[in-house]
Amino acid sequence: MSTLTLLASGEDKFTPPGLELFDSPPIIPGVVWFTKPVLLALLSTLIVVAFCWSAFAKPKLVPRGAQNIGEMGYMFVRDQVARPFLGKDADRWMGPLLSIFLLVWVWNLMGVLPLLQFPVASHIAFPIVLALGVYFLKLYLGIKHQGLIGYFKNMMFPPGLPKPIYLLLAPIELLSTMIIAPFTHAVRLFANMFAGHLILAFFSLVGFWFLFEKLTPLGAPIGVIGVVMTIAMTGFEMFIQFLQAFLFAMLAAMYIGNSLHPSH
Amino acid sequence: MSVLAEVTGSIGSIGYGIATLGPGIGVGLIFGQGVQAIARQPEAYGLIRQNMLLGFVLTEALALIGLVAPFMFGK
Amino acid sequence: MPAMSEKKIRPEDDARDFAGAAWSIPSYLLSGMALYGGAGWLLSKWTGVIVFTPIGLILGVALAVYLVYRKHGR
Repeated sequence: MSTLTLLASGEDKFTPPGLELFDSPPIIPGVVWFTKPVLLALLSTLIVVAFCWSAFAKPKLVPRGAQNIGEMGYMFVRDQVARPFLGKDADRWMGPLLSIFLLVWVWNLMGVLPLLQFPVASHIAFPIVLALGVYFLKLYLGIKHQGLIGYFKNMMFPPGLPKPIYLLLAPIELLSTMIIAPFTHAVRLFANMFAGHLILAFFSLVGFWFLFEKLTPLGAPIGVIGVVMTIAMTGFEMFIQFLQAFLFAMLAAMYIGNSLHPSH
Repeated sequence: MSVLAEVTGSIGSIGYGIATLGPGIGVGLIFGQGVQAIARQPEAYGLIRQNMLLGFVLTEALALIGLVAPFMFGK
Repeated sequence: MPAMSEKKIRPEDDARDFAGAAWSIPSYLLSGMALYGGAGWLLSKWTGVIVFTPIGLILGVALAVYLVYRKHGR
């Protein structure tokens, strides 16, 4: 939609989409904060809640329909995300982990659904909120299970290293776990969705420009290439969306697991 | 001597783009051959894992230095 | 503290250790570079000698590589 408004300015040269692709006007005039990403985020929450409700509210012994798919998703998260890092605590943490995984995946899928076409995670606020939530949970659990001093001692001074290098290496460990981990947790999701959205917008603009806006005999093959690349990159992008959702949930499970049982 | 061709704009990002070639191939080789080695001799998993991680960290170091270099050397 | 039965390492523990190591490596590298590169940058701003910044960066990288070697490579 916004691509068409870009071209309506009547330009002569092909200009690739830039950062204005991510600006959204408010939907209800006057309510400044209610923009399209906010609407899509609310819609994603509704979708996840509705799906989980219809799958797990009245479970039958032999699953059919939504419960079947819901159980496949649950087993996937439990076996690939929760159990490797949480061990026997996995079942207790399935609620947050399943919610995080499904929410991030639906957020990302908004980027390829027709007419919606905006990956919610490409506004950095959304991944930051989730990553901060996991970060504070990690801190709280680590301090609760290992004590305030013990938590930092286990993190910065893992046993088995010769004494002198502790001085040099403890700050690296502290910085890595306290600052870099939540930062990369959020930015990994944001950067992948941001770049994917830009790629899709670029190739579809190439196809649209050279096939519809300025149709010339020389430009038409470029337009066809643009359309083919859009289709290919959409498929690739859907795989990346699933992978990034899985990775986000997996890292959340890893951080929680490291707080519960310190790695030794 | 007149300028025939020129590359303008963000040369730092071009530099980083070229800098990802080497580590990309390197990391692919490390893990690809690591997986092959595990497939051939699963008992040696611990040994292979240690060496894979060592090789990975050295290669990744180059990639990250390439990321920082445009900021260090300006433009 | 779980039992120290180091003889048999279960596959899921192996996978978890490997994933933990693999994801911590870029963060160790980044934090080493940030810490010692930042220190080198501050030092070079204070003294005026520009070369401290790259020295700090390379030192951070070397220390991070050494940390990974001691933690995961033995």
